Amino acid sequence: MKATRVFQVTALALVVVAAVQAGWWLVDQRSYAIEKVRDARTLYTQQIVAAQALLDSGTSSDQVRTMMPGVAINGKRASLSPEVDQMLMSEEHRRINQYAWEGGFFLLALAVCNGVIFRALRAEARVRQEQDNFLALVSHQFKTPLASLQLSLETMAMRPLSPEQSRTLIDRMLSDLARMEAMVTQILESNRLERGRIDLKVEPIELGGAVGRVVSNMEERAAKEKITISADIARGMYVMADPLALDVVVRNLLENAIAAVTPVGGGTISLTARQVSGEVELSVRDTGVGFRPVDGARLFEKFTRLHPGGGSSYFGTGLGLYIVRRLMQLAGGRVSAHSEGVGQGAQFVLAWPVAPAEPT
Amino acid sequence: MNTPTQFFNRILVVEDDPHLAAGIVDNLRAEGYGVHAITDGQQALDWLSEEQCGLIVLDVMLPQVDGFTVCRTLRQRGDSTPVLFLTARGDPADRVTGLEAGGDDYMAKPFHLQEFLLRVRAILRRWDWYRNASATPASAVLQFAGNEVDFRAFRARSWNGISQELTEKEAMILKVLAEHPGEIVSREDLLEKVWGYDVFPSTRTVDNFILRLRKRFERDPANPKHFLTVWGVGYRFMVEGEP
Repeated sequence: MKATRVFQVTALALVVVAAVQAGWWLVDQRSYAIEKVRDARTLYTQQIVAAQALLDSGTSSDQVRTMMPGVAINGKRASLSPEVDQMLMSEEHRRINQYAWEGGFFLLALAVCNGVIFRALRAEARVRQEQDNFLALVSHQFKTPLASLQLSLETMAMRPLSPEQSRTLIDRMLSDLARMEAMVTQILESNRLERGRIDLKVEPIELGGAVGRVVSNMEERAAKEKITISADIARGMYVMADPLALDVVVRNLLENAIAAVTPVGGGTISLTARQVSGEVELSVRDTGVGFRPVDGARLFEKFTRLHPGGGSSYFGTGLGLYIVRRLMQLAGGRVSAHSEGVGQGAQFVLAWPVAPAEPT
Repeated sequence: MNTPTQFFNRILVVEDDPHLAAGIVDNLRAEGYGVHAITDGQQALDWLSEEQCGLIVLDVMLPQVDGFTVCRTLRQRGDSTPVLFLTARGDPADRVTGLEAGGDDYMAKPFHLQEFLLRVRAILRRWDWYRNASATPASAVLQFAGNEVDFRAFRARSWNGISQELTEKEAMILKVLAEHPGEIVSREDLLEKVWGYDVFPSTRTVDNFILRLRKRFERDPANPKHFLTVWGVGYRFMVEGEP
């Protein structure tokens, strides 16, 4: 990594030096060409002076013309022939043009090289910065369950405990482990999504059935927190989506809704769907803690946790909604979040393209 | 043993992670402390404007108001309740920020239970000592060379009539020195009494606090008459001033 960087910076410096040299060469060649044409004119001038001297001494015009072809003789006066003058002028232009094109091409090529190397360097710096941030955040996220785990174990080692107390601690530790496992899964998932290493197989899916399966898996857990989940989705609505991605997206939104409703002591989560101009929208509405409208966009960024307390049975990683957004983007759909404010509940809307024709 | 109803034996735990909070609360209760647990910074500030406690175990990353801000706000209110920061951010810069915000100690997560309990005990013992040492009207006030220090109010009036707000550390250092007038007190003794173990890496910190005390109370801080340096050992406090 470091060697590559040194190489890139060195290359950048070399290219800059080369560009300066090419520029200098260009200017130098131009003035050299002008100087040489001027030298040629000086020689012609000397010839004309000589021709005039010969004419003045009585040599015939024809003789002088044969001796000095570049000299025009008009009566008894010698001057530079217009053809020669024209030739010198065009030669000067030809050379200057040639250098301008060659030099210009070199300069352009070098500028492109510079740009490419510079961009590579900058992109690399940005990636490194992102990696650092990611690592710092991940390690921070892991430290809390780790601390809890260590505390529980040390408590068990240090104190005589009743069977009930031991049970409580063991449950706590198991839950901490589950939390860390969920984090690892989500981190890997989001990392794969980030590098675009997920192949989505988009196919027509019946939305009501797919959502119903996710809901039935989570109803029991929600009931423990005094939350009712209701899904009111008309049969026969088909969307173009990847079945696994759809499952993950709906599950993550429901997890998020449960986490939002738990702190207010229970409530409802309702799912509805409707078809609007080529899209099917699935709305997940909850009666939970809500969020400030300005935080709506930030919610989908990595590691955003507006309510770190969550509920007693839920521990967010700050990755769930990020994964939702990435999966929706990759599948050609979209997701948005709305809330009237803190304490006002929230609504998340998923939208997929409607399936072109009902499959058989 | 003190009963948990006495405020200085009660500990406020401010931690938003339910498991960690429960673990800390259980262990502190098992040690005989009275414990109150709160999950966010604003609630903690509200609770502290009504109630008193002997120590606050304060997480840094909290919803609403973060731990550093909670601590700073308390100090601005003139609340000198000791604070033990508990945080996942363990790098030196954060540690310094925590101490600058007015924290007494700083522990990085994950931490060892035994060490945590030791530190809690050390902080409470230091404050216990300070409270007892300032309990009587005679010991609550120190007068020397026209300066007057009120240990209980953390206030002082210096020889030139200027009133001074003392930090807890300044007051504690002054207390240790005033308890041993004319005697040599080593830097290590001061560190142990005022900071407890290993919070600050060097004894230079003590020197900086002595400089601050000189600025507050000496007529000529460059030629101190009361806070004398004993080279290579520590300090000597002279009530009458050195001739």
